[in-house]
Amino acid sequence: MNLGFVVGVIGVLILSHAAYSTIQYRGLLKIMEEEFSRPPMNVLLELIVGLALCMWAALTFPGKFLSIHPDSDENRTVSLPDSSEFMIFNHRGRLFPPQIDMKF
Amino acid sequence: MVTKTEETQLNQLENRVENGGGGVWEYLSLVRKLKVRRSEIVLKHGLSILNDSGKRSALGPDEWTLYEQVAIAAMDCQSLNVAQNCIKVLKKKFPDSKRVGKLEALLLEAKGMWEEAEKAYTSLLEDNPLDQVIHKRKVAMAKAQGKPSLAIEHLNKYLEVFMADHDAWRELAEIYVSLQMYKQAAFCYEELILTQPTLPLYHLAYADVLYTIGGLENLIAARKYYAATIDLTGGKSTRALLGICLCGSAIAQVSKGRNKEDKDMAAPELQSLAATALEREYKQKAPAKLNLLSSALRSLKIS
Repeated sequence: MNLGFVVGVIGVLILSHAAYSTIQYRGLLKIMEEEFSRPPMNVLLELIVGLALCMWAALTFPGKFLSIHPDSDENRTVSLPDSSEFMIFNHRGRLFPPQIDMKF
Repeated sequence: MVTKTEETQLNQLENRVENGGGGVWEYLSLVRKLKVRRSEIVLKHGLSILNDSGKRSALGPDEWTLYEQVAIAAMDCQSLNVAQNCIKVLKKKFPDSKRVGKLEALLLEAKGMWEEAEKAYTSLLEDNPLDQVIHKRKVAMAKAQGKPSLAIEHLNKYLEVFMADHDAWRELAEIYVSLQMYKQAAFCYEELILTQPTLPLYHLAYADVLYTIGGLENLIAARKYYAATIDLTGGKSTRALLGICLCGSAIAQVSKGRNKEDKDMAAPELQSLAATALEREYKQKAPAKLNLLSSALRSLKIS
């Protein structure tokens, strides 16, 4: 979990650094009076690396994903709850008192 | 409804508790949450906590819930003295409580003193005429005394007021099935499927009842509901697969003398698919019984 968190932080830092570089590049272009078509190659590379790191961190950091299929092995209904409000005490177990003598 | 993860958790905790590990309080809370009926274990370990005053005070305000749980478990295991003592303690702490009044009436029921219990419930109902639990206890009393028709009457009256209560509908369906009034039981299961269509167990029970009633339309409907169960469980319900095979052969038998269009209802592909799935499952889980299954399926297809 810790590694995912650290990687996520690094990814976010890389993305913010790419944003800052782009803003500076635009400022430079404004001085040189050229058009701004797309950020420079190194910024694009930085963006891709930041994207990859952030995605990896987002998938590893939260931990185990829960299943959403209703018939998957964890979610399937095994039994309905025994209706405890209609429970009767008149059953055959009445003739078998518990082995250990319970005192209270 | 109990899911597989919850069941494994429950079994794990149960093993731990039975073999002397800790975790008694988590086990008791899980039993309370899932509403399962494990009275002996609850009684044994609940008493071990209650008898030890150190552990008892460590629980804080949950102590009284534990008293209630142990009292009910004691009544289920026929240790009426333990139940009496628990209720005495609860009554000393909460002298005017309706919940304790209900427990006392429950104890009278467990002792078999039906008239006193009836009187106690009627007096509790006067104070609070819309109490669901007390109405259900009256039904349970009628059931315990062996008067299913009276239980049905009470339950119908209860359901006219509280139509959304799944447990009550289930109980009514089971009473009808035990009295062999299958059409009414089918109606109850239809209500259950309407309110909770994603639970495969209701579809399965409804299909069973329809198959029992018999007749061509009911058999076709039963096959549809078995197919719905298989859909909802992802093909893992053995009972539904067997149901489809049986329905198929029963439909073929009933529509033997009829004309071509009814014969088309036989749907042989569905039956052979279900048979293949069944054989595969048996090979995985119980290979010793595979021969039994194959011969049974063969005899079904022939007839």
